[in-house]
Amino acid sequence: MSGLVSDEVAEDYKNSLEDLTTNDRFQISNLTVIAKENTENAMAISRVLENHIRSTPPPQKLPALYVVDSIVKNVGTPYTLFLGRNMYQTFMNAYTLVDSQTRRKLDEMLKTWKEPVPGSLDTRPVFPSDITRNIESALIKARTAALQQQQARGQPDILNRGWGSATPTGWTNSPTPPQNIARHPPIQPYLNNGHGLGTSVRILCASLGGSAVLTQSTRPPPQPHRPDANLDSLNRDLDALVASARTDFANSPFDPASQQRLKALLDLQGILQRQQLTQEQFKLVRDQVSALAATQPASTTHSPPTNGPAVSAPPVSTSTPPAQPVSQPLQQLLNPGTLAELIKATAVRQQPTPPPHIPNVLPQVPQIPQPNATPQPAVAENPLIAALRARGLLPASSAPPSLAPSPGTPVAGGPGLPFLMPGQSHSTPPVPNPQAPPPSNVSSVVPMNTASMKIPRMALIVSLYEARPNRCGTCGRRFLTTEEGKEKKARHLDWHFKTNQRMAEAAKRAQTRSWYVDERDWIKSREDGDDQSSVDPEATGAVGVDSNASKQGPPKPWIRAPNDAMLRNTPCPICQEKFESTWSEDVQDWIWQDAVKVGSRVYHASCYAEVTKEVPVRGGTPQARTGTPDSVLGKRKAEGTESPGLKVRVKTEPA
Amino acid sequence: MSLPGLDLSQPSEERQYAVAPPSQISLSPGSEWRFEVGFGHIVKVKILNGTAELFGTELAESQSYSFTGTKAAIYTWHGCTLEVSTGETNHMISDGVTPTAGHGAGGCQSEYTAEETPMVEYANVHFALETLRQEAHGAGKDGPRVLLLGSENAGKTSLAKILTAYATRVGRQPLVVNLDPSEGMLSVPGTLTAAAFRTLLDVGEGWGSSPMSGPSPVPVKLPLVYSYPLTSPLDADGSVYRPVVSRLALSVTGRMAEDEDARETGIIVDTPGVLSQGKPGSLELINHIVTEFAITTVLVLGSERLYSSMAKQYDNKPSSSATATALDERISVLKLSKSGGCVDRDAAFLKATRESQIRSYFFGNPITSAASAALSISASSASAITLSPHAQQLDFASLAVYNYTISAADDGDEDDYDPSQLTTTDSYLPGSEHSSSQPSQLPSDRAAPLPGVVGLSSNPSASSPATSSAQSNVPLKKVLPPAPSTLANTLLAITHASTTAPVAEVRDASIMGFVYVADVDADKGKIRVLAPVGGRLPPRAMIWTKRWPGEIVGLVG
Repeated sequence: MSGLVSDEVAEDYKNSLEDLTTNDRFQISNLTVIAKENTENAMAISRVLENHIRSTPPPQKLPALYVVDSIVKNVGTPYTLFLGRNMYQTFMNAYTLVDSQTRRKLDEMLKTWKEPVPGSLDTRPVFPSDITRNIESALIKARTAALQQQQARGQPDILNRGWGSATPTGWTNSPTPPQNIARHPPIQPYLNNGHGLGTSVRILCASLGGSAVLTQSTRPPPQPHRPDANLDSLNRDLDALVASARTDFANSPFDPASQQRLKALLDLQGILQRQQLTQEQFKLVRDQVSALAATQPASTTHSPPTNGPAVSAPPVSTSTPPAQPVSQPLQQLLNPGTLAELIKATAVRQQPTPPPHIPNVLPQVPQIPQPNATPQPAVAENPLIAALRARGLLPASSAPPSLAPSPGTPVAGGPGLPFLMPGQSHSTPPVPNPQAPPPSNVSSVVPMNTASMKIPRMALIVSLYEARPNRCGTCGRRFLTTEEGKEKKARHLDWHFKTNQRMAEAAKRAQTRSWYVDERDWIKSREDGDDQSSVDPEATGAVGVDSNASKQGPPKPWIRAPNDAMLRNTPCPICQEKFESTWSEDVQDWIWQDAVKVGSRVYHASCYAEVTKEVPVRGGTPQARTGTPDSVLGKRKAEGTESPGLKVRVKTEPA
Repeated sequence: MSLPGLDLSQPSEERQYAVAPPSQISLSPGSEWRFEVGFGHIVKVKILNGTAELFGTELAESQSYSFTGTKAAIYTWHGCTLEVSTGETNHMISDGVTPTAGHGAGGCQSEYTAEETPMVEYANVHFALETLRQEAHGAGKDGPRVLLLGSENAGKTSLAKILTAYATRVGRQPLVVNLDPSEGMLSVPGTLTAAAFRTLLDVGEGWGSSPMSGPSPVPVKLPLVYSYPLTSPLDADGSVYRPVVSRLALSVTGRMAEDEDARETGIIVDTPGVLSQGKPGSLELINHIVTEFAITTVLVLGSERLYSSMAKQYDNKPSSSATATALDERISVLKLSKSGGCVDRDAAFLKATRESQIRSYFFGNPITSAASAALSISASSASAITLSPHAQQLDFASLAVYNYTISAADDGDEDDYDPSQLTTTDSYLPGSEHSSSQPSQLPSDRAAPLPGVVGLSSNPSASSPATSSAQSNVPLKKVLPPAPSTLANTLLAITHASTTAPVAEVRDASIMGFVYVADVDADKGKIRVLAPVGGRLPPRAMIWTKRWPGEIVGLVG
């Protein structure tokens, strides 16, 4: 295989990968098939995959990794070797940047890599065990280190604050954590994820979370697990809470805390009524709610008596006290327990995160995790968050992160693993400040005079960079995050794609410089942007600036004679007659008169028109943007479903 | 007098390349990395992180950009890390320039990081222009028309690129006018051009490329080209420059009137440095440009003296547009700092730049251009655009070739040793200005009305009445057979004017392209030419660019 072909394959593969934005089984299996059929280019494809995973925005990393998963499981050898080489970096890079929900998926995927391919006779694991082991030990190390660090910092703080008394000392050293720990994490994790949430939800969660902290400290020996819990009881509790919150709100309608609280409870109720929670999530919510219900009277108006001086803070400030139960999971975590234990433990550990310095009077300040408060593993799954996200509830109130899924998202997903992974050389490069204010907020009036030119106006530079965070990875062009901007970008990417295709074709025949246009044509001409929908360039490009051609009435449809011998000998599928090549002076190339290309087949235009009973579309039908482009690799569109012999296992999310 | 093929560069074995390993350069916010790359040497630059722009065009991250034969700077507003490495050497050198790998990173001849740049000023110019554009949008006025003045190597073209790139980045579509014949914009030297820029500028190629039969990785720009085959606008006392500029301004005004995007964004006019050097006649030419383009903003780069005279003459005066008085449109004159990065480009470098422009007109990008490299995963020759010009024989007698004859001294300089020249002396003597074969000579060099733009032509041409009518003669002569041997290795500009058009029309006609004369067979009366497009050459009047850009040796082997 020449390097040229390898490059083309890689380029096509890259383009197809870029279309993969969701966990689409169909696309993933297409990509797998392509990889399978191009094993001779396995190295190039592996490199493309690695680059793609590294550079794609965090939400798209998982699908790309699923492609890897599917390829190594379905195709195997050359890819296992090539991909395995850098798998550590690839995996850890992705892991660092994705949110905690995705992390769990990654963990699951990693687990399958340690096992043989399901259904295969080969007993060897998917990846050699040293690769998976490296990744796993790095993950464990990072989690442990994160915990230790926070431990080291958090504990004195707590003790100084007099919170230590609220924590049963026995917990600290007990080799097995109390059973109930896992049942308390529920809502607090919001605090860590507050970045990605709408302000109101965030604050409200903060207030709920704060209450929960109080709850725990007032009830040191929590009830053991209640096995008979069910949705009804939860709903009852919740109803009670809502009622009480309503009362609070009626009493002090201007108290932001009660407003937020009420809203949060109502939201929670909504979620429950949709019954979207899994059993596990449900349990968590239920425990939290029952805990809240128990302390409800005390939570907003009274300081729980056992809390000591720190609790004299006003109710709103309940969101600020630092880590209450910080110390308990230490022992547990130092024992390298199972992943599940880690998750449970860290879920608890998430409770105390609100940075202490956030002013009580400004509850709206987004609780972006501070560097010194964050280094805790966010491995912990936040089921509620996940549920909220899945239901599309959260993005509704948090437009910016969903529009700009850039570095903000990894932070939002969980600040964990902030440590340098060994061997991890780079992460997603910073697009500065993706949520910078739109330029319209900045006064952009700059007077045109010499003195005014000397004043630095960095705020306006934003209009060139941050205001357009949606970048084209190929040429660096930036687009707005508005709907229009997205459309433009889509068209721009189409343009790149078409141009690539056409360049690959054009490289095979001689090209020439066109004549310049005359004044009249120039004045009438409009710049064709690369972001506008345009007619198929094959048709117009050939006619080009030669205005004479267009003056001779509607031209007959024609196409350039294909260079491929196979295609050239393929007859018209309708009349079964071969095409005749004629030399065109205008085009300076061999052409087929009366021919149209529809999809990948060439028909006589007249035959095609007869069959379709339509006027032949000049230049072919506008091609829909498909996940897998029609390219040198051939059309893949329906192959995944049509070829029963080819069973492709693709990892997809359980619906 | 050089013969083709005889002064080619020495075989490449003699050259030594110290292949530098890739090096990383970190730029702090607000600084720039300035680098010079010799011709024939390729330097690849990749942005590892942060943001960076080259003359206003943002570079994409992790894409490899190739540079050759350039002196440029990569600026960063936010800080960035660059990786600089040596590209594969281009072996297509045949223009006599010895490729030189320098000792800088990636083999740059010179490279350093500069903390002090005038970029804040330049960006402010853009923002001030944006302010004017928004006003224009609100009031239904035309966008600002900017004139860039400054001596040679003051960074005028760089600033023009920055302003153009910034404007396109915020979705504008400026009309850029190049009035500097010494360097071409989207065309060869010896032309005056205008083009609307809507899309990305080509990072490696300067302004980008004019349309080709095939696709281009960076959208092509459609230029309107006029021939001005003289070195300086002051030649012939501006009697050639002025009418061509008027004609160009007329077309640009026509475009402005019809193209809403262009109208709101306005015009950016780049000028030759010689206009800013206080030579006699230059102020009149500046005035001509200011009038013709109804300039509203004059930017003077670096020259205090020129600034003060410009400020005196234009600052706060009404612009010359027809609606200036109604809308109270006034000219503002600004002084801008010259960048410390502006380096003198020596004659050899400029010559090499010109030759590479001409070469790429016929043969396409000499190297994998930046953006095309960016499009394929590993930069390979697959994406370099190679054009295939067509060679053909022409009967010289059938052509209508015109040549500018300006002064005896000029002619003598170049034609000293040409035997054929001596035999056809009569058609070259400046005294014999009316050759009998000349079909007609219109006594006016005023721009003829544009076809199709009826209502508009009155405005710009009416504003330049005094300059032209006095000069009744167009110094443009038809070159009669036999074909002069000096025709070899020069370009012929093919105009859109018919072969029988009056000379004034030939002079003012826009250009449809160039052919390169490879050989002259005086005996048979044939010339062998290289045309960009195959097929019969259109029967049009041609202008011989003997003086400028002059002889280009070795374009065809």
